[in-house]
Amino acid sequence: MKKYILTINALLFLAFTSIAQIDRSTPPEPGPAPKINLEKPETFTLENGLKVMIVENHKLPRVNMILFLDNPPHSEGEKAGVSTLTGGLLGTGTTKTPKDEFNEEVDYLGANLYFGAESVRANTLSKFFPKVLGLMAEGALAPKFTQEEFEKLQQREIEELESNEKDVAFNAGRLRRTLTFGKNHPYGEFSTPESLEAVTLEEVKSHYNTYFVPENAYLAIIGDVDFEKAKQLVEEKFSSWEAKKLPKEELPEVRNAETTQINILDMPNAVQSQIAVVNSVDLKKSNPDYFPSIIANRILGGGGDARLFMNLREDKGYTYGAYSSIGNDKYAAAFIASAQVRNEVTDSSVVAFLDEIHRIRTEKVSEEELNNAKNKYIGNFVLSLEQPSTVAQYALDIETEDLPEDFYETYLQKINDVTVEDVQRVAKKYFKLDKARIVVAGKASEIAENLEKIEFNGETLPVKYYNKLGEEIEKPKAKEVDASVTVEKVYADYIEAIGGRKAVEEVESVAMIAEATVQGMALNLSMKRTMDGKLNQEVSVGGNVMSKQVFNGETGFVVAQGQKIPYNEDQIKAAKLDANPFPELEVGDASLEGIENVEGKDAYVVALGENNKAFYDAETGLKIKTVQTVSQAGQTMSIPTGYSDYQEVEGVKFPFSISQAAGPQTFEFNVTEILVNEGVTAEDFEE
Amino acid sequence: MFKQIKLTACALLVSAAGVAQEVEFTEYDLDNGLHVILHQDKTAPVVSTSVMYHVGGKDLKNDKTGFAHFFEHLLFEGTKNIKKGEFMSIINSNGGSFNATTSLDRTYYYETFPSNKLELGLWLESERMLHPVIGETGVETQNEVVKEERRRSYDNRPYGNLLQVIQRNLFSQHPYKDPNIGYMEDLDAATLEEFNEYFDEYYAPNNATLVVAGDIEIDKTKKLIEDYFGPVPSGNQVSRTRVEEKPINTTVKDTFYDPNIQLPMFILGWRTPGMAAKDAQVLDMISTILSGGKSSRLYKKLVDDQKQALQVSAINLAFEDYGAYAVLSLPLGDTQLETLKQEIDEEIVKLQNETISEREFQKLQNTFENRFVNANSSVSGIAESLATYNVLYEDTDLINEQIEIYRSITPEDIKRVANEYLKENQRAEIYYLPKKDDVQ
Repeated sequence: MKKYILTINALLFLAFTSIAQIDRSTPPEPGPAPKINLEKPETFTLENGLKVMIVENHKLPRVNMILFLDNPPHSEGEKAGVSTLTGGLLGTGTTKTPKDEFNEEVDYLGANLYFGAESVRANTLSKFFPKVLGLMAEGALAPKFTQEEFEKLQQREIEELESNEKDVAFNAGRLRRTLTFGKNHPYGEFSTPESLEAVTLEEVKSHYNTYFVPENAYLAIIGDVDFEKAKQLVEEKFSSWEAKKLPKEELPEVRNAETTQINILDMPNAVQSQIAVVNSVDLKKSNPDYFPSIIANRILGGGGDARLFMNLREDKGYTYGAYSSIGNDKYAAAFIASAQVRNEVTDSSVVAFLDEIHRIRTEKVSEEELNNAKNKYIGNFVLSLEQPSTVAQYALDIETEDLPEDFYETYLQKINDVTVEDVQRVAKKYFKLDKARIVVAGKASEIAENLEKIEFNGETLPVKYYNKLGEEIEKPKAKEVDASVTVEKVYADYIEAIGGRKAVEEVESVAMIAEATVQGMALNLSMKRTMDGKLNQEVSVGGNVMSKQVFNGETGFVVAQGQKIPYNEDQIKAAKLDANPFPELEVGDASLEGIENVEGKDAYVVALGENNKAFYDAETGLKIKTVQTVSQAGQTMSIPTGYSDYQEVEGVKFPFSISQAAGPQTFEFNVTEILVNEGVTAEDFEE
Repeated sequence: MFKQIKLTACALLVSAAGVAQEVEFTEYDLDNGLHVILHQDKTAPVVSTSVMYHVGGKDLKNDKTGFAHFFEHLLFEGTKNIKKGEFMSIINSNGGSFNATTSLDRTYYYETFPSNKLELGLWLESERMLHPVIGETGVETQNEVVKEERRRSYDNRPYGNLLQVIQRNLFSQHPYKDPNIGYMEDLDAATLEEFNEYFDEYYAPNNATLVVAGDIEIDKTKKLIEDYFGPVPSGNQVSRTRVEEKPINTTVKDTFYDPNIQLPMFILGWRTPGMAAKDAQVLDMISTILSGGKSSRLYKKLVDDQKQALQVSAINLAFEDYGAYAVLSLPLGDTQLETLKQEIDEEIVKLQNETISEREFQKLQNTFENRFVNANSSVSGIAESLATYNVLYEDTDLINEQIEIYRSITPEDIKRVANEYLKENQRAEIYYLPKKDDVQ
């Protein structure tokens, strides 16, 4: 029956269609704006101060819970990282339930439960809500901090931190925060392996006891619950949480730079520079400037269709993406415009950033840009209403950010009220082009010279240098090479250091076997070279040859993954350099580039062609490093190889320890055998 | 004339196990063959418009790979009425959000808007289907973008080639052997004519499903859909030939070197049934037993208790024609990959020899029920589920009924499936290792 009626209806529509004219040539007009229906959660407060918000929503049989401590930020000083360790240990067992049993219970219920230093989140089917709320309370309020779990976590955190040592983005971000907020401000401080090492289990316990208190705590429960029952449960599980006063804490004042300046962090391994134009802002959500400022930021750099992106990526092709953001926070926030760019366009990118920020401060944006930005925010707001958690989030914002009760009811109106004049006014106020820091982390030897020449508003921008810990340092100096030093001398000293020309000239071939361990697997390297420039090299893992290269002085090939590929021109060029065990016997077209610091030692730098450099210890004369630059798939990277532990074989010294870094990883090779003038036959270099 | 009208029960059904939700929907075909699914949900003033085309990485053009993914990009380039580059800015400036995804089996385009922009969403998707601009400029632009994507997602990303290495070891004939994004030389060699033919072949309404979900009026929406999509001409029927693979009978071993990683990864992989088979859902459950949550068998043993692995994960990659089942593990400290293999094998043998306990079985039921409830928590999520069940499972009702399939799985099924598919001689053992540059 139903089906029949529907068919008739459908026919009617078809009939309509034949008459209806739609105009495809322009986007259809929107219908009347939808009515926004913003619910409010039901709330109550426990005697210990815990504020509870419950959003009943029975659409799906599930419940989400968030316990959130709105504590003011606090400094950790020499023990920086104690809160990370505290958060990491929550959920690893309680005084009532051992860890394994606790995890098993959470999984059995099909629930998810995550602990942080000052928050807990959980999700469950509504039928298990009481149990999961119980587990949440137990994990958060009755943790058992054991020495075993503490040490496991401490070690993991330290290892993770150490693995970031050469990470440009990581170091850039850390320096940016430290310079923006100050080293002693909680937002600017950071943990180090030493500060993590200094933390004890007792301090974790004390941190927990001090800060995990109900004074500023909120519990939001969203979903398929009955208010009265949920209230009773919360009272049952959380009333025992002891009320305690948080220690009073004075936050250091956050100050911007006196004048706009460039702050450089030298990362010698960087192939891209990380640029951030940054200043701190005092901008809370309750500030009337909040709405104009998010609109201004959206126009400047808030997306893939904003000005920074269009300029630096679409127009100039300096980067894969350039964006800006403006924070809002009760204590301190920042405006940041940033991108990762190629080394050689670092200075031009800085200029492009400054130009765009200058433009939005001095010229009014167009009405079209303004409207597009407004519509994006209006859309985001409407789309956010679909999730019931939004109701809780908004109510939480009103409480914690000290907002008027109708802040979200009037949200759309306030977005709509923003004018082009407002945008310009807040751009001037918050995008502080006169007190900005331009934090650049990159390879100073390639970018510093041009950065020092940047002029802005007719004046050269001051440049300061910092180390990774945020301390201002002298400009890393390019040392002067003494006029008496030449390539000839560097080479002669090296040959002398390894045994003298006579001994070296007696060498006809060198066969080397070396071994490295990579995550428990043995990697073996065999390399045979002759003085007449032939090369045979095999790399194997667990006895299986993974790559083989043969070069007969003229042509060569690589075998890798079962495929034999002849050398191309570049590879032939490179092999000619590599094959000779002692290129230092002849100066050829090598040139002395200067003197650089290598692992704390002065070393002479000799360039061999465009892509190879060798470093010779100024004191001992020994070769301690080579760097090869390779380009692959549009990416340029440098591969440094270090040489040490020189030992004598047949009157000539060879390095017995060779380390090679490729990207983030380093291989440490131990040479197990070197044969001079034996173990190499003509067959080794055949096709 | 509508060929098919189908309504699910309008009343809210409460199943025995207490899942109190049922996704109501209406589905029918337009004259040109476009399948339409409508789902009304007035909770929030939000509407999602989306189209799933039954074309993916496995659909080659003259043996060339990567076409479907390329079209995911190309079909944002503009249409007869939308200028180059404006497709996305129209969405943004109307407060919408959007994305598109391509799998080996299907391509999905979607927008979410405030509900007063429903007509705009329909206009955008119908423009894309009716007359997109497929020209030299767009092809050149997107070729560069796709290459950049390939660098970022595969070649420069740690473990970026993982999926591809699993695919090439489990498939030798079926196009599942090739990367979804395609080989760059194929895309470089592709002609404009081939792109146009590919569009005509796969992007006609009769090879697509349109889903409109959210704050809509059903009758009004039907009329708008007829207005915007009715005029799109029908295409030829897509001919699909399923390539049969010969069974793997001896263990395949492979080594792959990735320059972007520090830690090696060990992978066990098996070829398994396609997504619509019940056994594919059994394999989902096996994944949860092995690595879902901190109390799962492999996580607890290898990561927590014995500290041999940094991570371990069992995943069932179910495609349309076949599936690929994989157990991935990253060693911790000096643990040898061989040790990981033995430890993982031990757990697989245990699944083959012992029936899981009553408690573990109940845990599975709870986990899958929670997952099922959360899968359908937004209109855009519901829209994608509806499209997927319709296009790839050929049964839209599964949106409400798939949980019943999970419920019907018994501990004996789990043991049977572990024995039937997770055999030692039918698998690939893959060593995914850090690539080092040869020492000079």
